[in-house]
Formats: sequence, C-alpha cells, structure tokens
Amino acid sequence: MTKRERRQFFTGLGFTSLWIVGLGLFTAYPVLASLYYSFCDYSILKSPVWCGLSNYTELFSDDLFWLSLKNTLIYAGVSVPLGAVVALSLALLLNQDVRGRPLFRVLFYLPSIVPLVAASMLWMWIFNGQVGLLNWVLTPLLEPFGLTPPGWLVDPAWAKSALIIMSLWGTGNAMVIYLAGLQNVPRELYEAAEIDGASGFRRFWHVTLPQLAPVVYFNVVMSLIGALQIFTQAIVMSSAASGGTGTEMDGFPARSTLFYTMHLFATAFYDLRMGYASAMAYVLFLIIAGLTWLATRVSRDRLN
Amino acid sequence: MVYALLIAASAVFVVPFAWLVVSSLKPIEQAMAMPPTIFPRAHYATIDGERIEVLIDYTLPRAGVVADAIAGDQAGRRVLLTPEQALARPAELRNAHRVGAGWIRVTERLAQAESAATVPRWDVVPPEAVSTQIKFRWDNYPNALAALGGAADPKTGEGGVSFWVFLRNTLLVCVLGVIGTVISNAIVAYGFARVRWRGRDAFFAVTLATLMVPFPVLMVPLYGVFRELGWIGTLLPLWVPAFFGSAFNIFLMRQFFLGIPEELSEAARIDGGNEWTIFWRVVLPLSKPVLAAAALFHFLYAWNDFLAPYLYLTRKETFTLSLALQAYQSQNGGVQWHYLMAASTVTILPIVVLFFFAQRTFIQGIATTGSKG
Amino acid sequence: MRSVVLTAILLGIGVPGVWADGADEGRAKVRVSYWEKWVGPEARSIKAVAEAFNRSQGRIVVEVMTVSPIDRKTLVATAGGDPPDIAGLYGHNLASFADAEALMPLEEFIRRDGLTPEQWLERYYPVYQRIVQHNGRIYAGISTPAMITLHWNKTLFREAGLDPERPPRTVAELDEYARKLTKRDPQTGEITQIGFLPQEPGWWPWIFCRWFGGELFDGERITLATDPRNLAAMRWVASYSQTYGAEALARFASGFAGQMNSPQSGFFSGKVAMVFQGVWYNNYIREYKPGLDYGAASAWPSASPGIDDFGMAEADLMVIPRGAKHPQEAWEFIKYVNRNNPRATRREELEGSELLCYLQEKNSPLREWSPFFAQHHPHPYIAAFRELSASPHAQATPDIGIWTEYQREVLNAFTRVRLLLETPEAALASAQQRLEKSWARHRRSLELHGQIPTKKGALAP
Repeated sequence: MTKRERRQFFTGLGFTSLWIVGLGLFTAYPVLASLYYSFCDYSILKSPVWCGLSNYTELFSDDLFWLSLKNTLIYAGVSVPLGAVVALSLALLLNQDVRGRPLFRVLFYLPSIVPLVAASMLWMWIFNGQVGLLNWVLTPLLEPFGLTPPGWLVDPAWAKSALIIMSLWGTGNAMVIYLAGLQNVPRELYEAAEIDGASGFRRFWHVTLPQLAPVVYFNVVMSLIGALQIFTQAIVMSSAASGGTGTEMDGFPARSTLFYTMHLFATAFYDLRMGYASAMAYVLFLIIAGLTWLATRVSRDRLN
Repeated sequence: MVYALLIAASAVFVVPFAWLVVSSLKPIEQAMAMPPTIFPRAHYATIDGERIEVLIDYTLPRAGVVADAIAGDQAGRRVLLTPEQALARPAELRNAHRVGAGWIRVTERLAQAESAATVPRWDVVPPEAVSTQIKFRWDNYPNALAALGGAADPKTGEGGVSFWVFLRNTLLVCVLGVIGTVISNAIVAYGFARVRWRGRDAFFAVTLATLMVPFPVLMVPLYGVFRELGWIGTLLPLWVPAFFGSAFNIFLMRQFFLGIPEELSEAARIDGGNEWTIFWRVVLPLSKPVLAAAALFHFLYAWNDFLAPYLYLTRKETFTLSLALQAYQSQNGGVQWHYLMAASTVTILPIVVLFFFAQRTFIQGIATTGSKG
Repeated sequence: MRSVVLTAILLGIGVPGVWADGADEGRAKVRVSYWEKWVGPEARSIKAVAEAFNRSQGRIVVEVMTVSPIDRKTLVATAGGDPPDIAGLYGHNLASFADAEALMPLEEFIRRDGLTPEQWLERYYPVYQRIVQHNGRIYAGISTPAMITLHWNKTLFREAGLDPERPPRTVAELDEYARKLTKRDPQTGEITQIGFLPQEPGWWPWIFCRWFGGELFDGERITLATDPRNLAAMRWVASYSQTYGAEALARFASGFAGQMNSPQSGFFSGKVAMVFQGVWYNNYIREYKPGLDYGAASAWPSASPGIDDFGMAEADLMVIPRGAKHPQEAWEFIKYVNRNNPRATRREELEGSELLCYLQEKNSPLREWSPFFAQHHPHPYIAAFRELSASPHAQATPDIGIWTEYQREVLNAFTRVRLLLETPEAALASAQQRLEKSWARHRRSLELHGQIPTKKGALAP
C-alpha cells in the first residue's frame, strides 16, 4: 500500500472501530459459538462437551420440533401473503386522489407502532370467547346459518387464526412503504398505457405491479423472516391462558401456538439444553438463508 | 366508492383502539357485560336517604314489602317479603315500605378497597328514581398502575414496585439506546461511505450479510457473554450494544451519506480538514433527517421490545413497561380486564404522542428504508 | 500542663475507642438472601426462625423472600449467574438440580466444621438422609419434612361397625374396610360415600408402586414396567375401578373435584372415609373441618410381605445454588435450621428445626426430639408421624435426574389405568418406553460431562 492508502486504511478502520467491536462481540462471536454449541452438550452451568451430530439427529426425531416448525410455517405462510395483500390494497386505495389521505394514513399506520405486548392484551380481550367484541359482532351474523363463533384463543383450531388476524392489524408499516413506492411510479408510464388503451386493471398489471415489484418483494421477504420468528404475541396470549402455572411456553391451547422460537427459548432456558437449542437455531438460520437465496434467484429471473 | 372502502377499512383499524380506551374506563362488571356497552355508566338511587351509586340487580315481578328485620327470621338484615309475610310479623319489622311490581332492586356500589369489609346496603326503588349517567372511571388508571407493580405484602410492605420505576427503566433503555445508536452508527457509516480504504466494500458486504442472522442464533452465546460480565438481571444488555453499531442503521446512514455531494468534502479537505472534522462539521449537520429517523426508530424499537427484557431481566424493580405488563397479566389470580386495558393504554400513549409530534420523520423514514430494498 | 496531660489521656482512650467502634461498624453484616416458596403462616414461621438466627449472632442477617415458582426462578437465576444464597426447593427437585450442576455440594462445609458427612447425616432419620443426597453426595439441608400416611374418619368407622381406633393393617383389610365404608343410594344405586379412592388426592400415584415393594429405578435402569410389583400396584388401582365402576367413581368424584382446600373436599365432607395425606393435613382439618374425629396411622397397611412399617416421606429443602455470593454464611443458617436444642422443656427454648416444625405443626426430621417438642406438639398424632419417620422402610422420591418427567408418566399411566382406558401392562410398558428414551439421553449427557451416576451408596437402601 502507498502511504496515502495506508493512512486511508487506518482512517477507515478508525471510523468503523466501534462496529468492529460490535460485530465481533455481538454478532460474529455468537454466530460461531452457536455453531460450536450445536455440536455440544451444553447447559450454561456446565462447559460444552463435544457430542457430534447427536443434537441434530435428536432434533429430527423430536415430535415437538416438527410441531413447532409446522405451526410456524402455517402462521408465516398465511399471515405474510395475506398481510401483503391487505397492505397493497390499502396503499392502492390511498394512492387514488383522495382527500384526507394523511388522516387515513395515520389511522392505518398507528397500530403498527403499538407495543406488541399491549396489542396482544387488547386482542386477547377482543378475542375473548364470552365477552369479546369480535364474537359479539359475529354471533348475530352466524346465527342464521346455525353457526356459533369459535372460542378463538382457547380453541386449538382457531388460535393461530386469531394471531394471523392480529398481525393484519399491524400491516400499516408495509402500507406506507407500498404507498411511497406507488407514488414513485413515473407518470409517463401510466400516460403511455392510457394512450395504448389499457383499462384500469391492465394498467395495474403491466405498469404498477412491475414497478412496485422490487419493493413488495423485499418487504415480503423481510416479513417472512420476521414471521418465522414469532415470539412475543404467542407468549403473551399463551401465558394468559395458562394463568401463572408457568406453562406459557407450551403453546396453549394444546400446543397449537407452540412456535419455533418459543420452543427454542424453552429448551434453552427452562430445560437448560443449550446445545440442542443452538442446533434448532442453526436449522432456523438455514431455513432463512435458504429462503433468502431462493428469493434472490427468483428475483433475478423474474423481476428482471 | 373508494371512500366507502377506505372508511370501512379505517373503521376496522380504529375500532380496536377505541375499544381499548373505552374498556379501560369501565368498571369491571360493565367491562365484562354482554352485550357490551360503549360508554360506562353509573346508576344512582337513594338508599336510606342518601343518593349513592348503585348496581342494578333485577326488576321485581310482583309487589312486596321491604323492611329491616330486628327480630326473628334474618334479624339484623333488610328483607324483601310478600305483603302477607309482612303483615304476619309487624312487630319484628322497621322501616317497612311497599314496593311495586316493576320496581328495581339496587345495591350500593362499594369502591374496591371497601368491598371486603363492608356489607353493601340495598333497597327496591321505582324505576324513575334511578338516574343513569355516563361516568368514566378515571380511577381505573391509578389503580391499574399500582396493580402493575404487584400488590405489596400487607404485613411487611415489601414487594410492591411503583409504576414510575417501570417507566424510568424503559426511558433509560430508550434514551441511552438512542444516544448510542445515533453516535455509533453515524461514525461507522461515515467510514463506509466517505472514506476510501482497502477492504471497505468487502467489509460492508459482510455487514449486510449479518442482517440475515436470526436472533435465536445469537441468543444463547450472548446470554453467556452477559453472564460472564455479570450483567444478567441489569438493564445493561438492553442498551450497551447500541453503542457498537447495528447493520441496519449503518446501511441506512451510509445510503444517506452517499447522497451528500463530494464537492463539499473536497472543499473542506482543501481547507486542511481531516476526515473527522469533515464528518463533524460538514456531513453530520446535513444528516439531521436520517439521524432523526434512526433515533426515532430505535426509540420505538426499544420501547416496544419484549424479548430482550424477558431474557435478561429477573427482578421486578428492573422491569421495563412491556415486561411489567406481561408479568402482571400472567400472575395467578385471573385478569382484571379493565385494569389490563388501562395499563396497556398507558404503555401505548407515549408512542402515539411521539408519533404525532414526529409524523413526518416517521413516514419519510419508513418510505426510504422500505423503498431502497 | 495538666490540661495537656488530661487531653492526651482522653485522646489516648477516646481515639482507640472511636477506632474500635468504627471498625465494628466498618465490618458490615453479611446479608444472606433466602428464597422460599411459602406464603401466609408458613412464610411467617420461616421469617420468625430467621429472626431468631439473626438475633443469636451479629455477623449474618438472613433475609427471606417469597418467590414463586421457586424451582423455575432458582434455576433461571442460577443460570444467569445471580442466584440467591439459599433456595427452598422441593425434595423432588434435588436430583435434577444436582445433575444440572446448579447446586453446591455441602461436604466441604461439613468437613470444615470438623465432621465427616456420615456424622452429619446421623442427625436425621434414614429416609431424610436419603432425601438430601443425590448419587451419594449431600446437596441440601431440610427446612420442614413431612410424612404421609393413612388418615381415616373415626365417625364413619363407627357407623360401619369398625373399631375407630384400628386402621386397616394390610391392603386386603384396606379393601375390605373400603367395601364396608361404601354406601349407595338405595334408589339410584349411585355411590354416596366411599371407603377409599386411589385418586384422592392423587398427587403421588408412584408411591403405590413403592408401597407394593416395587422399584422404580435401580440406579442404572428404569424398572417401571420390568418390576412385577409395580404391575401389581397398578392392578390394585384398576381393581377399584373394576369393583365400583369407573364411570360411577368418576361421577362420584366430580362432586368434590378441585375442592381440596375447602370444607367440600372428599374427606372433610365425609364422602371419602380413608385417605393418604400428610402431616400438614391437621392444619387443614382445623381450618376447614374443626372437630372432625379422625385418626392417623403410624404405618401404612402392609402391601408387601414382611413390610408392615411402610411410610412415605417428603421434605422441603434448603440448598446453596452454585454461584451464591455468601455460601459460607448460607451454610451457617442451614446448620441452624438443621439442629435443635435437645433439652428444650419450654416453648421459648425451641431452636432451629424444632422451632420451625413446631410453628408449622409438622414432624421434625431429626432423630432426637426435645422433651417439649415431643410432648407439647400441637399435632395430636405427632407420635405416629415420628414412628413413620423412624421406620427403615420409609420411602421418598427415587434419586433420578429425570424425575419430573417420570412423575408425569406415572401419573398419566395411573389415570389411564383407573379410568380403565388401558390395561396396567400396556400403560406401564408405554411409559417405560418413553422414559427409557429420556433416561438414555439424560445419561448420555451426564456421561459426556463426566458425571456418570454411581451405584447407590451404603447409606441408601
């Protein structure tokens, strides 16, 4: 390196020194340590001891592992696309020339910045089978068909749906992003399409969507990664139902809300099986990395 | 048409908020009433010459007599008898008064603190005598906040934690975290954006790659690190890491710094400034928007965070608001819904206020982060 | 000149005096944090004992805090590096906490006091000696013990023509008494009173296996399904459902389900004539059914040939979590609670274990009882409980690290068997299968960390 280059190098290092420490201590070290632990029998009170692949083989034969994975995939697989559709629809609506757009925008956005714990309390209250708002609205609607509304959070078949509905309330964040994206679409493209005689729907399909695709795409991937790690809402709702018995990590009711990160947390900090939990963490890492890679492939092929 | 849809959609989004606040201002029996009412009501009637708040029990199907029995059956209590029963034992009754069919039995509504010790009075009054008005139970709020800290053991006085402690803990974590975020990420992002040095871009690529690492992967070793430092059970793990940069904010700020014209830096360099002074005097002052956005988002994130406090905090005195709220709700003895709604509202309110003051920063901030993808 | 001398003398006396006082203030008291599970009167009793200890010396101050759930919180705090100095765990937590290396073994402390571990253990009856050990090492002291035995309703006995002072002596007699004490409604045939119900209270179904002489764990292997006596116990449980009808029993039991702490419990309301309960039961009787004429047996009915002095023991423990900041001072308090004043003839002279057990009206785990404790104990049948403690055939939970899971499996098998959903053989076999898998995993983990379980020591049966 020339003298100048060396000076620049140390300057750059100086500026990024805080991050070097941060990256090393809070990211790189844990990532590597977790990998090591995943091949060990480790419980913070005892030093890690190498045990090869036994954590991984045990993982794949454990019922609860598969159950938590299934629950998580169901939740993510439904809430993310649904959320994207809702957010996009709202954004499209707001993109029209409407008066009071700022007001609507606020109303849709506000729920997404509410603390998750408080929101969970509220929705638990709304989903209450006997005195909740939702069932009070649904009962007269379903009666003509001879149906009764479900118990939601106490019914294993409906608990996840309740969580999904709750997640839709928080799509304001995505909506704002999509709205900004929509407003960045160049006018000329729309005008050109109109001149070509394209109807509203075709304009949407051929102009709006392709322009918006990268933004939607990025957001869906980030949402998916987030949804796969669902933790707070599930814990809060599960612990309310289990009422102080300390079984909030069981995914009440009947393990229907036992999600991956919850199971991981319980294994690590209640059973003190941290090697096993690290193996679970790496499996999650691989799933996310795989999804991201897949997504990048698709984006390169499709959205080009 | 568009308006109709928008109004319907916004109603769906707003109703939960409204319900939250409305429920928090009701007394427990009205909060749990079915069908639900929108506004909390208070009923008043005159019992024993005093106009007090009452609960409505039921409507009398038949006429009867209400009197205080001073002897015989149920002595010392007020009783509701048929006219025949009353006529049979006039000497044992005092304050006998006829009550008609369709009249309403009302019971004195006692404040929660008294309800254990006192026997509530009751009477049967004509429907016109009961007045109803909308009354918001504002005292749910102080009661809820006191309950949040857990009831103090009445004999020893220990165990209760004041709500202000939770608020203080949360503010501490948020404010210190914001300071750390703004300072550390600005400095680091500058190093990635405005300084050309060997290996910079590779290092940046690695930085971006870390965005993909899910928190559970970091959780166990980080816990071990903090345990070695003796920080488990303190608030330190919640804000100290903010002083060491975060990939997302580095990315955000770098993006912004790249947009600042090179000429400005050049000019300062010619004037003899080194990189640090350029950073401090030229770039930073121009970066207020991104710094504000980063500060705002970190504050929001720290305020709402639940997983980290759940993981690292052990004693109630150190709890943040979110954790205190969850601990309150998960304790034995069932849930006081109206208190829970009140406490939840309190944790939400500061964020809503913050939003209204910093709306533009919020919206712009999200728009830029999301769009750049 | 005189004033100078005077001043010098005063300074000479005063200054060292001030220094001395300063030094005493400077040597601050050591605060020992003690997490206990108890609330209410039990919490007050341990605080009273802590205060007595604090008064008896000036160096250590023990602070008792009520924590719930005690086992989960202690484990988390220990894992986080910030545990209390003493934790009040349940007896059945010991094996798993010791295996997790969450506890400090106590032999070092004992030796420093000039005793050998065997000498230390001698103060307890044999069954309590076993409770504080895991794999031959001592990990705990005892705060309060308990014995569980047969309680019977003397009034119902009289009504049925049975000698109210004579509890059944064998299982066959128990079954026979149960038959005699069972009444049915003459019109509907529904049970209105039952002599004995295996699921009342249903907290320790595993003890039935031990009662019949069965082994649950031989130190190496799970023996739930392989020991035929465990099967015999389960068959006996099933026999009740077969004799009286599973649905009939369920209907009957639902009448007092969940009413343990109220006058409507099975035993208190006179619906169940005989029940296995603990030394604490007298407190409950006093609170919910004062005046109930009941008896407590000094031994369980014999279910295994040759053993006529069976009893079940439990204990609340005091452990020192690993990483505690003041282990030596914690040990001083544990010692205090695990000894007594053997010559106490007055209430004020009670110390340590006897003071605590007197306040909670339980038996003491120590062999030696002071005259006052033995003669003026508030529990009317304390002598029977003492006999139960002293028996060489008293049993406690098996010393296996996966006990929480084991207990769950036995409870599950027991429920299925008594509901006649599964044969005893099938229920035990499937439980055994799952437990073997768990135990293999647990054992492998112990092997990896060099904690291979040793064969049971000479002190264990």
